[in-house]
Amino acid sequence: MKTLSEESLLLPNPLREGLVEERIPEPAAMVIFGASGDLARRKLLPALYSLTRDRLLPARFAVLGFGRATLTDDAFREEMRRGCEEFARRRPVDPALWAAFARNVFYQQGAYDDPAAFLRLKVRLEEIEHTLGLPGNRVFYLSTPPSAFAPVIRSLGHANLAPKPAPGQPFSRVIIEKPFGIDLQTARALNTEVHDILAEQQIYRIDHYLGKETVQNLLVFRFANGIFEPLWNNHFVDHVQITGSETVGVEARGGYFEQAGSLRDMVQNHLLQVLSLAAMEPPVAFEADAVRDEKLKVLKALRVIPESDFEHQVVRAQYAAGSIGGQTVPGYRSEPDVSPRSTTETFVALKLFIDSWRWAGVPFYLRSGKRMPKRVTEIAIQFKEAPHLLFGKRGETIRPNVLSIRIQPDEGIALNFGSKLPGPAMEIAPVSMEFRYGSSFGVEPPEAYERLLLDCLLGDGTLFTRGDEVEASWSWVSRIHQRWAAEVAAGRTTLDSYPAGSWGPEAADRMLAADGRAWRLP
Amino acid sequence: MSGDAEREHANFERFARGETIPVEVGEIERELGALWKRASSAGDTHAGAAVSRAALWNLVIPTRGAGALAKTKALVDEIAQGVPVRAITLCLDDPGDVNAGALAGGGGLSATIESNVVSQPGGARVVYSEEITLRGPAGAETHFGALVRALQIPGVPTAALWMDAAMPVALLTRELLPVTDRLIVDTGSCVRPPHLYDLQRLAAQAHPLPVADLGWLRLGSLRLLFAGLFDPPVGGAPLRRATRLSVRHRPRGDLSALLLVSWLGQMLGWRPLRSVQTSDGGLRFDFTRDDGARGDVEPDVQAYLVPAEGACDASGVLAIELAVDGRDDYVVCRTAMDQASVQLPIAPAKAVKLDSYSDAELCVAALGPRGRDPLFAKCLAYAGGLWALEPQTTVSQR
Repeated sequence: MKTLSEESLLLPNPLREGLVEERIPEPAAMVIFGASGDLARRKLLPALYSLTRDRLLPARFAVLGFGRATLTDDAFREEMRRGCEEFARRRPVDPALWAAFARNVFYQQGAYDDPAAFLRLKVRLEEIEHTLGLPGNRVFYLSTPPSAFAPVIRSLGHANLAPKPAPGQPFSRVIIEKPFGIDLQTARALNTEVHDILAEQQIYRIDHYLGKETVQNLLVFRFANGIFEPLWNNHFVDHVQITGSETVGVEARGGYFEQAGSLRDMVQNHLLQVLSLAAMEPPVAFEADAVRDEKLKVLKALRVIPESDFEHQVVRAQYAAGSIGGQTVPGYRSEPDVSPRSTTETFVALKLFIDSWRWAGVPFYLRSGKRMPKRVTEIAIQFKEAPHLLFGKRGETIRPNVLSIRIQPDEGIALNFGSKLPGPAMEIAPVSMEFRYGSSFGVEPPEAYERLLLDCLLGDGTLFTRGDEVEASWSWVSRIHQRWAAEVAAGRTTLDSYPAGSWGPEAADRMLAADGRAWRLP
Repeated sequence: MSGDAEREHANFERFARGETIPVEVGEIERELGALWKRASSAGDTHAGAAVSRAALWNLVIPTRGAGALAKTKALVDEIAQGVPVRAITLCLDDPGDVNAGALAGGGGLSATIESNVVSQPGGARVVYSEEITLRGPAGAETHFGALVRALQIPGVPTAALWMDAAMPVALLTRELLPVTDRLIVDTGSCVRPPHLYDLQRLAAQAHPLPVADLGWLRLGSLRLLFAGLFDPPVGGAPLRRATRLSVRHRPRGDLSALLLVSWLGQMLGWRPLRSVQTSDGGLRFDFTRDDGARGDVEPDVQAYLVPAEGACDASGVLAIELAVDGRDDYVVCRTAMDQASVQLPIAPAKAVKLDSYSDAELCVAALGPRGRDPLFAKCLAYAGGLWALEPQTTVSQR
């Protein structure tokens, strides 16, 4: 069998040119750390299976699970097959397709901080690559507890499993799950550790919200249509509301959530990412760094909440016992692994400003909470009222125009406007013009993880968060945490309560009412 | 219920079931509008599911004869699963058709409307797209252009699916192309490579519209697999030293094989020198890698089209074999309908899955970004150039 010359490694494949539209990555292996965990079973393997089913993975592709649990290859495959049966977008699982896919799925047991385990991993990976004729392209997915991120990356470095990029060499990329740090200091420290081993272009910090079709469509909606962008500024927009609500409580994650809270769990990553996409300036190109540069500018332009306005711009609360979907549910402090004197917020509402030419004076209201009436994530752009009130003098209902961008569930966009009711009287009623992915295209959009895994394999970091973005968002959020910590230290914690199944505490309503506004009922 | 109301109700029931409803030619849009209004009113939706009338494309499909019409309607039903369209099928009756003129009321045009219903899993949402069929005797094509212009959904792009060589080409070039955003053809339906010239002429007339070819898309899996042989760690170096290419194909797959040779020739900068008839009924093309004109020179690369038999998809291509430096072989060989074996000098041969697509899946792909592949036009032109080489009479032995 032939060996490879230096020359051949350096020459690109000319036949790939023209196949770009197919978006099929080069042959590669994906190593999943934390493979025996929930994310691999519920999201990652189902996403890879769905990509295979959609013929979007290369013919030569392998998955190597790595975890603490002792499993054989077959046991791991069986566990993952059950995950696909339950969670894959396309079900039932096609037995023949699964058999072909599973042949290249393997498992390796080991501890995240054991250098010997990583050397064994390296040997196993090279064996698999040799057997399957893989070129050495590797993606490492860190689906581990956050405390393992740094040890795993250090171990990858020591084992020389993820060398820095060089022309003509196979790629090594690392996907890091959230949370990336728990505050600015820890995020900076983690960035430093990661950059010791990896170049920024090798790092894919995942926020699955960015893989959702509507979030990507937000860029298309804004920058591919001529009619919206001229209105997308403080001349026409009255305010913006971003809601991320969940019906679930903390479930079995009470211990984690006690340390996190809604501000860390939802706002610092998901909602601020969505905010930055909604508010950013047009990028010079639809390329990873051009888009991320603009998002970063938004995050850096977030106005620090003045001490004097803190109570008017920040509301936090905990859910009390209540009812969701006809079921009585306990309050947060009665959940397992939660302190009965906990001050962790399960709801947060914020009023913030972006100090930029475009958004000067436009408030952005963000809220996120658990145990709310329904699960929904949406951006609502409320436009200013018509400058002259031609109608409505006789009591007709005229509501301001609202453009709502629904991220989940039922991804889509709706525009509300007033319309004359049929008949002789000048009666005006709000109507909604809706676009929904499911009904307009006849197909459900792919799962966010499918898109993000494929993008990483293709080397497209546009929908991943860059290190400086993470630090900028932590920089803003950490100030709120510091203020809350100071309140606790001073023994004067401001923590409201709301019954499970409601849209949050009254204080959140008062925050908008003080501005003559109200929260939408999404 | 009055007679009109009963008829309207019966029509709606048939529409909701996706059945064919004959309508007056001039009343097509009004009838569709009435049925949609009914579908949107409370109580008429399926189990309370939301109804959405959706179309991302107007898809115009000319076809001839009852048999071809039946196949076209089956194709449209399948396309609707992948992309909602308003399909406008234009059918000329063959004089021999038993039912010719029956629907047309003895010689005029007839029209039918149908819905294509796509239910989401769990029945949560329902998408309807529409199918309009216009049918008439030979000569009716003079009316089709105006009807298509009247029936296009405004603001939605239009594609013409031109697969039936029996239809008068003037219908496409004079009436449809001016209102079309994408032309879709199928080189796989061409019987012999001389039909390449017809397609080239069409593509030239359609310019600058994107031309998508189902035959080209059908070769996509094979091209992808073959291209993958030269991904790292192999890299592109062997391609520069290729000396011989063989494309084995079934007898009716010679045009697909020619397109594959053209793809490699185009991508690797091979300049055609001559073509030679081979003793087994195939062809050999000689190429030089040199850009300069050197007259009658020894070829750097020889490419063979080799007729053969074996399990195959509609592309008709069985294998691509590339020899480098006269010894190393890079091979993709179909071993079953959806299986292939790949062979590289650096690794043992292995079996892989080779995807094949239905015509409807290819049509859906042709309506997407893959239908704008600029490489196809280049390869079609290159293939035309190859075919234009007069084959030398000397019989070549392989």
